[in-house]
Amino acid sequence: MTVLSSGEFWAFVGVMAGIYTLFTLGLQIQFGLAGLLNFGQVAFMAVGAYTMAILVVKQGWSMWLAAPLGVAAAALAGLLVGLPALRLRGDYFAIVTIAFSEIVRWVATNEDGLTGGSQGTINLRGEGVAAQYNSQWERFQGWLGEQLGIRSKDVVMLLVVWSVALLLTWLAGRLARTPWGRVLRGIREDEDAVSSLGKPVFRYRLQALVLGAALAGLAGLFYAWQFSFFSPDDFQPLITFFGWMILILGGVGRMWAVPVGALLFGFLFAATRFFDFPPFSYLDSADRAYVRLLVIGLLIIGLVLVRPQGLLGRRQEMVLE
Amino acid sequence: MSALLEVSGVSKAFGGVRAVDDASLSVEEGSITALIGPNGAGKSTLFNCISGFLRPDRGQIALAGRRIERLPPHAIVHAGLARTFQTARALTRLTVLDNVRLAAPSHPGECLRNLIARRGAVRRREAQVTEEAFRLLRLVRLEDYADALAGTLSGGQRKLLDLARILIASPRLILLDEPMAGVNPALREELLAHVLDLRATRGITFLVIEHDLAFVMRASDHVFVMAEGRVLTEGTPEEVRRDERVIDAYLGTDV
Repeated sequence: MTVLSSGEFWAFVGVMAGIYTLFTLGLQIQFGLAGLLNFGQVAFMAVGAYTMAILVVKQGWSMWLAAPLGVAAAALAGLLVGLPALRLRGDYFAIVTIAFSEIVRWVATNEDGLTGGSQGTINLRGEGVAAQYNSQWERFQGWLGEQLGIRSKDVVMLLVVWSVALLLTWLAGRLARTPWGRVLRGIREDEDAVSSLGKPVFRYRLQALVLGAALAGLAGLFYAWQFSFFSPDDFQPLITFFGWMILILGGVGRMWAVPVGALLFGFLFAATRFFDFPPFSYLDSADRAYVRLLVIGLLIIGLVLVRPQGLLGRRQEMVLE
Repeated sequence: MSALLEVSGVSKAFGGVRAVDDASLSVEEGSITALIGPNGAGKSTLFNCISGFLRPDRGQIALAGRRIERLPPHAIVHAGLARTFQTARALTRLTVLDNVRLAAPSHPGECLRNLIARRGAVRRREAQVTEEAFRLLRLVRLEDYADALAGTLSGGQRKLLDLARILIASPRLILLDEPMAGVNPALREELLAHVLDLRATRGITFLVIEHDLAFVMRASDHVFVMAEGRVLTEGTPEEVRRDERVIDAYLGTDV
């Protein structure tokens, strides 16, 4: 159990929770505010990460220029999906998003020339040359660590990710309380009623989708920086559903529920790693990996039974018709 | 008086069913016009065509001389026509106050760019809108519920909220879809009084689908009767009440 007492391990858990906070904040804007069922959020994360990596490695751009372009590319992807698909009603839109996320993953897997293919970003310069997009980020991390007097790169990363995540959570919370957020919440309740009150519903839903996609793109950047390497396999649909679990755990419709849900989810995910006591120790490690997901699922079902509104949600809002 | 709303030759079919079939009617400015007819006559479909939720297959709809049959619902609201629905459509998890404030027209705070660039204008308009919303909630006597979630209101109160909500956009013409349905007798009187009062004080014109004949007889100046997608007849409430064809249509006898 030495890992459990290691600061680096928990810093890693914290970084992941921060990245998932950004990722899920997008879902909270899309679903919690506007009622959009986006089951393809991971695609926007992939677009953000790949755009940055490709621009740095292939075009030789500065990371500081490539990063905002990664976010912009994710937002653009949201726009391109939304323009046709948001004309569909709820469930059909959900189907399109999940299909889109699989299309992105398969394109990334098969377009070796653009993305490095299934081998991931290490192949961005072609076979045999190890491509690297991360040197500028690591230099920045080192520099920031020196300024703050922090040795561990993980802790520096933790501070950066959470500063950004908390700032954006706060901003999103403010946005939700503006007249703009009010229209979105209205659309979540009844889009026909809102359009009968003179609001162009389509435009608002598109804005929510694009904002959420940009946040996923940002999460993709941090994901790429954290691991210095990624491949299409990192963008499985499961990631999107982890985001949804966080959303439900924390509470739908409350921005501050996202970091809380992400921390709880990160903790559950990390803690179940150490199931090396009976009865789990009777299984081999491969089986244990599945049992772990099963245990997480059961824990979440249990929590939802006790608090269907999530940790920070309002119970009253669950029962109104 | 002149026609504020002119519907001419509107048809709308769903598959083989001609829900509205060459229907024409006109609503005089300042009138309370009723649209009656048995279930399935096409009244609600016609309402949906007028308010932009359905695009008619054929025909023209003009509001104050301006063609609106191809406009989306939100643009029709801006042209001065507001509507309610058969079952009240309260935005349940928003407060009663927010239900009304959301309906305010030309609010700079509903545009993302202005939230940063024109913060002063957003704040001023929001204060204005809040004041106006409270005035309308007082009008329908819902001000005590301003901070309650709209989902906690009764069916009748939701109808009042629907009415207050569309008033904030100062419409010239209001389409009411069965305002009396599902409302208790005390609130019915109140709703009726509001409609008469709004016409008298603000000059708002009403087109009302209603099965409650007491309402039709007491409130309306003019009645159109629809049956099987067509406008069967029209006239004053008294004329329509004596019309044999109307009685037949309601009783289902062949005309």
